[in-house]
Amino acid sequence: MGNYLLILVCLRHSRRHLGRTLLLIFGIAMGVAGVVAIDIAKTSVEKSFDLSTQALVSRSTHQITGTGLEIPQQVFTDIRTDLGIHRSAPVISRHVKVSQLGDRILTLMGVDPFSETHFRNLHISPGEQVLSGIMTGSNGVFISRSHARQYNLDIGSPLDIFLGSRRTPVTIAGFLDSENSAAGRMLEGLVVTDISLAQEILDMGDTITRIDLILDADDPAEKIRDLVGNGLFLVETDQQNLAVRGLSQSFETSLTAFSMLALFMGIFLIYNTVSFSVTRRHRLHGILRAIGATRSNIFFTVMAEVMVYAVIGSVFGVLLGILLGNGAVQAVVATVSEMYFTLTVSQTHISGFTIAKGLLAGILAAFVSGFFPALSAAGTRPVSLMHRTVSEKKFNRVVPGLFICGLLILAAASLLMRTASTHAGSDFTGLFMIFFGAALMTPLLIRFLVRILLAAGMGSLGMMVKMALRNITRSLRQTSVLMASLMVVTSVYIGIEVMTGSFRLSIIQWVDDHIGGDIHMESADPLARSLDQDLVNRIRHLPRVTSLSAYNIHPVFSRASGKVHLFSYQSDQSVKRWSWTAAPKEELDALLEEGWIFVSEIFARQHNVMPRQGAAAVLETGKGPVTFQVAGIFRDFFMGGGRVVVSPETMARFWGHGDITALQLFLASGTPAEPVMDTIRQMLDPEDMIEIRSGNAIKKSILAVFDNTFIITSALQVLTAIVALTGILNAVTALLLERTREIGILRACGTLTGQVRQLLLHECFFYGLISGILAIPLGTALSWVLIHIINQRAFGWTYDMVLTPGVFFQAIALSSAAALAAGIFPSLAAGRTHIPTALHME
Amino acid sequence: MSDIDKSFDDSGSRRVIFRRASARFPSGKISVIVGKSGVGKSSLLNLISGIDLPDKGTIQVGDHCISFMNDTARTLFRRRHIGFIYQFFNLIPVLTVLENVTLIAELDKVPQKTCRRRAESLLEQAGLYDRRHDFPETLSGGEQQRVAIVRALVNDPDLVLADEPTGNLDQETGAKIMEMITGLARKKNKTLVMVTHSPDAAAWADQIFSVGSATLAPMDSHPHG
Repeated sequence: MGNYLLILVCLRHSRRHLGRTLLLIFGIAMGVAGVVAIDIAKTSVEKSFDLSTQALVSRSTHQITGTGLEIPQQVFTDIRTDLGIHRSAPVISRHVKVSQLGDRILTLMGVDPFSETHFRNLHISPGEQVLSGIMTGSNGVFISRSHARQYNLDIGSPLDIFLGSRRTPVTIAGFLDSENSAAGRMLEGLVVTDISLAQEILDMGDTITRIDLILDADDPAEKIRDLVGNGLFLVETDQQNLAVRGLSQSFETSLTAFSMLALFMGIFLIYNTVSFSVTRRHRLHGILRAIGATRSNIFFTVMAEVMVYAVIGSVFGVLLGILLGNGAVQAVVATVSEMYFTLTVSQTHISGFTIAKGLLAGILAAFVSGFFPALSAAGTRPVSLMHRTVSEKKFNRVVPGLFICGLLILAAASLLMRTASTHAGSDFTGLFMIFFGAALMTPLLIRFLVRILLAAGMGSLGMMVKMALRNITRSLRQTSVLMASLMVVTSVYIGIEVMTGSFRLSIIQWVDDHIGGDIHMESADPLARSLDQDLVNRIRHLPRVTSLSAYNIHPVFSRASGKVHLFSYQSDQSVKRWSWTAAPKEELDALLEEGWIFVSEIFARQHNVMPRQGAAAVLETGKGPVTFQVAGIFRDFFMGGGRVVVSPETMARFWGHGDITALQLFLASGTPAEPVMDTIRQMLDPEDMIEIRSGNAIKKSILAVFDNTFIITSALQVLTAIVALTGILNAVTALLLERTREIGILRACGTLTGQVRQLLLHECFFYGLISGILAIPLGTALSWVLIHIINQRAFGWTYDMVLTPGVFFQAIALSSAAALAAGIFPSLAAGRTHIPTALHME
Repeated sequence: MSDIDKSFDDSGSRRVIFRRASARFPSGKISVIVGKSGVGKSSLLNLISGIDLPDKGTIQVGDHCISFMNDTARTLFRRRHIGFIYQFFNLIPVLTVLENVTLIAELDKVPQKTCRRRAESLLEQAGLYDRRHDFPETLSGGEQQRVAIVRALVNDPDLVLADEPTGNLDQETGAKIMEMITGLARKKNKTLVMVTHSPDAAAWADQIFSVGSATLAPMDSHPHG
C-alpha cells in the first residue's frame, strides 16, 4: 500500500481536526522558541562580552596591573626606557555614566595617542587629523559616530561624565569611526580621551589602570616581572579575559536548563496530541490494517505526519524565538552586568548555529514523543476494531511496572545530581530524569488518589462527582499523560516559587545581618571614598544612635576573577552565617586578628577554596601574592562577586588602607530614621558627597536588583506554562471528545445540558486537583535541586529552602483552575451535543 | 403525532425521512415499528422522545405537546415520562448496575432512599439484584440489556421507547428480553413503542407500523389480530 496515500489519509483526518493540529504546531513552536530565545541570549552575551572587551584589549598579549587596579605611570616609563619595550601603551579604563547618552554605563578610556598605533585602530574624524592633535590640551572626548547620531550630538556638544555622584563636563572633540558595523558596535561602549584628561576626570594623579603590552618570545618577560615586583602583576590578556568570561557561564547554562524545560513540556504536549490522535484513529488504522497496510506502513504514516508538523512548528518556533530573543538578551545582559562583569555593549547576535539548533531540537523532540504513539498505532490489529478498552487493559497491566521504572529513574537522577561533577549538562540530564521518572509513576499514583478521594466521601457528593472520578481511571492511559504534564508544570511553578521565595527570605535575612542597621552612609564620590574620622566619631555619639558598624571596602585585583572586594571592620555589628569554619565560632575573631581571613562562598567557589582544615587562598597584595589561611566561609549575596574580610591591621599592612568608607547606624528601638538622617545631613559640609539612606530603602533597592536576576527565570516559567497549557487544552479537548457517546446517552436519558457540562468540568477539576497534589512532592524535590544544585552552581549562593503551605495551596488552585479553564470550551461544546449523532458514535 | 415532516442534510442534498406522517400509539399498548435499514425508524423514536425535533407537525405525549418545548423542558419531560432502551445497551461504564439504574432519579433529586428501593425492587424482578454492585463490562449482553430495561422503567415512565432491543443479542437471549420488556410493560400498563427487525419481536405487538418512503403507516394485520 502506498505510503503517500496513507499519509494523505492522515493529513486529511488532521485537517478535519484543525484546531488540535494547530495547537500541536503551536506547542512545538513555543518549545523551540524557548530554546532559540535563550540560545540567542547566551550567544549575545558572548558577543557583547567580546565587543565590550575587544576595543579595550585589542592586540595586547599581556597586561601589567596593580593590586588596587591602578599603577604608577612611572612604571610605563621604566618599561619603555629601562627595558626598551616599545610595543607598550598606558591605559586608563573605568566605567562611567554619560547623562547625554541615555545614562548608559560606558568605559571611559584614557589612551596615549603616541603609543596606540600598535594596539587599537581608533579611526577618528573629522578629516585625517591624528588623535593627538585633537585631544592634547583640550577637554575633548571621542564617542562613536553612530552613538552620537542616535542621541543627536555633534562635535562641540557638551557631555557630563558621572563617576558616582561626581560630575565632569567635557565636550565632543570628534567621532570614532569603524570599518564595519561589528567594529562600530564595539566602539559604542567607549568614551575615549587623552590619558591626562582621563586622569583629571578620574582624579587619578599620576596613576593609570594598566599597561598593555605586545610581547613575543624575545621579550624579557622575566625582567618585566622583576621590574613590576610588589603590588604589580604581569598577566596574559587572553587568560584573564577567559577567567572573567567564565564567571557567568554556569548562570548561562542554568538558563539553558530552563529553556530545555520548556522543550520538555513541548515533548509532553506532542506525545499527548499524537497519542490522542492515534487513539481516535484506532478504527481507521484497524481498517487500513484489515485491507492490507503493514505495521511499518502505519508506523511510517504516523511518524511522517508528526514530522510534517514538527518542521512547521519548528520553523515558527525559530521565528518566535528570534522575537523573544531580543527581550531575553536585554534581561540576560542586565543580569550578567549586575552579577558578573559590566557589559558596555549589548548586541543581539543570531547565528545560523542557533537556528539549526532550534530546528533540530523541535524535530528531535517531535520524533522522540511521536515514536511510542506511532509504535502503538502500528500494533493495531484488524481484529481489535472497535475495542478501545483493549489498549486500556493492556496499559493497566503495565502500570505497576511503570511505577517501579519511575522510582529507579528517580534514584538514578538523584545519584547523578549528587555525585556528578559541576558539569552543567548533568543538571539538565538530572532534571529530565526527575520529570520523566515522576511521569512514569503518575498512573499508579492517580489510581491510588482516585481511590482515596472516593473513599474519603467524594462519591457521596453526587453521581456526577463519582462519574468524573471514575472516568479518570477508566481512561488512565490518556488521562495519566495529561495529568503528568499538568503535574510537571505545576511542580515547575512550585519549584520556582519556593526557590525565589526562599531566596528572597535569605536575602532579607542577609541584608538584616550584613547591611542591616537603620541608616546607611557611604561616600557617593568613588574618588574620595574615605569618611572623615572626626565625623564618624561625632555620629557615633549622636543621641539615639546605639551602635554602628564602620568598615572599609576596596576592590583589588584577582587573577581568578578579575577583582575581589576586601572588607575590614573598625567596628562590626554584622552577623555572618557560616557555611564552614576552621575553628569554633567564638574563636574566629581572634584568628582574624592573627591575619587569617574570612571568605564569601562566591570567592571560595571562584578561587577553589575547599571547606576543610588547612584551607588557604592566595591574594594579590601590595607586597605581591600572599597566601592567607581561611578561618571561615560565610554565606554572602554581595553584588560584584567574591568578598574577603580581613582585619584592619591586615588591610593596612598588605594593601595600605586604614580608612572608613561606610557606616551602618543602629538606632534605639522605636526611633524613626528620618530625623536622625536630617541631623547627620546638617553635620556635613555642602561639598561632601555622602549618600545617606535608610535601612529600608537599601533593603528595597537590593531586593529589586535580585528580583531582576530572576526576570528571565520567571519569563521562562511563563513560557513553560504556556506550552503546558496548550498541551492541556489540546488533551482535555481530545479527552472530552472521547466522551461524546457517553454524553449522548446521558442526554437521551434526560440529563440536562448544564448537568453534562457540570460532569465534564468536575472531571477537569479533578485532573487539576490530583495533578496539583502529585506536584507537591515533585515541586519540593525540584526546588531542592534548583536551590542546592543549579542555583549554587550558577551563582555560587547557598540559601535555606523555605516551604510554606501557601505555595502548595496556590499550586493546587492554579492547577485546578488551569484544568477547569481548559475544560470550558469543550464542555460548552459538549452541552450542544447532537444526541442522535452521538448515540451512533463508536 | 400528526403531520410530521422531517428531513436531513445528506452531503448537500435533503433526505426526506417523513412527509406529513401521522400516527397514534395508544396508551398501555405495545406498538412495533418495522422497516428497512435507514428508512428512519430510530429517527422516529428520537422525534417521539424529544431528542430531535420535527421540521413540521406536532408530537403529543399524553397531554404534553413536546414539539413546542424548549430543550430543557424536553429533557426534563424525557427524564420523567419516557424510558429509553437501546440496541447497544448504552450503559455508563463507570457506574455500577445500581448506579446506572438510579442515575436519572438522582439527577432529578428523587431522595436516594426512594430511588434505591425502587431500583433494587426492579433489579430483583430482572434477576440482577446480586449483580447490582458490578460494573457493566463484567455483565453479559443479555444482562446489560436487562439493566437497560430496568433503567428505562425505574422512573415509572408513561412511555417506553425501545430501539432494536434484541438486535445485539442471540435469538434465545433476545426472546427472553422481549418477554421481559413486554411483560413489564403490560404488567405496569406502559405504552411501549419498539423499533425492530425481528419478526419474533413483532409477534408481541398490539399494533404494527411500517416506515418507508417517507411515510408511517399501520399495517393491516398482525399476530394479535
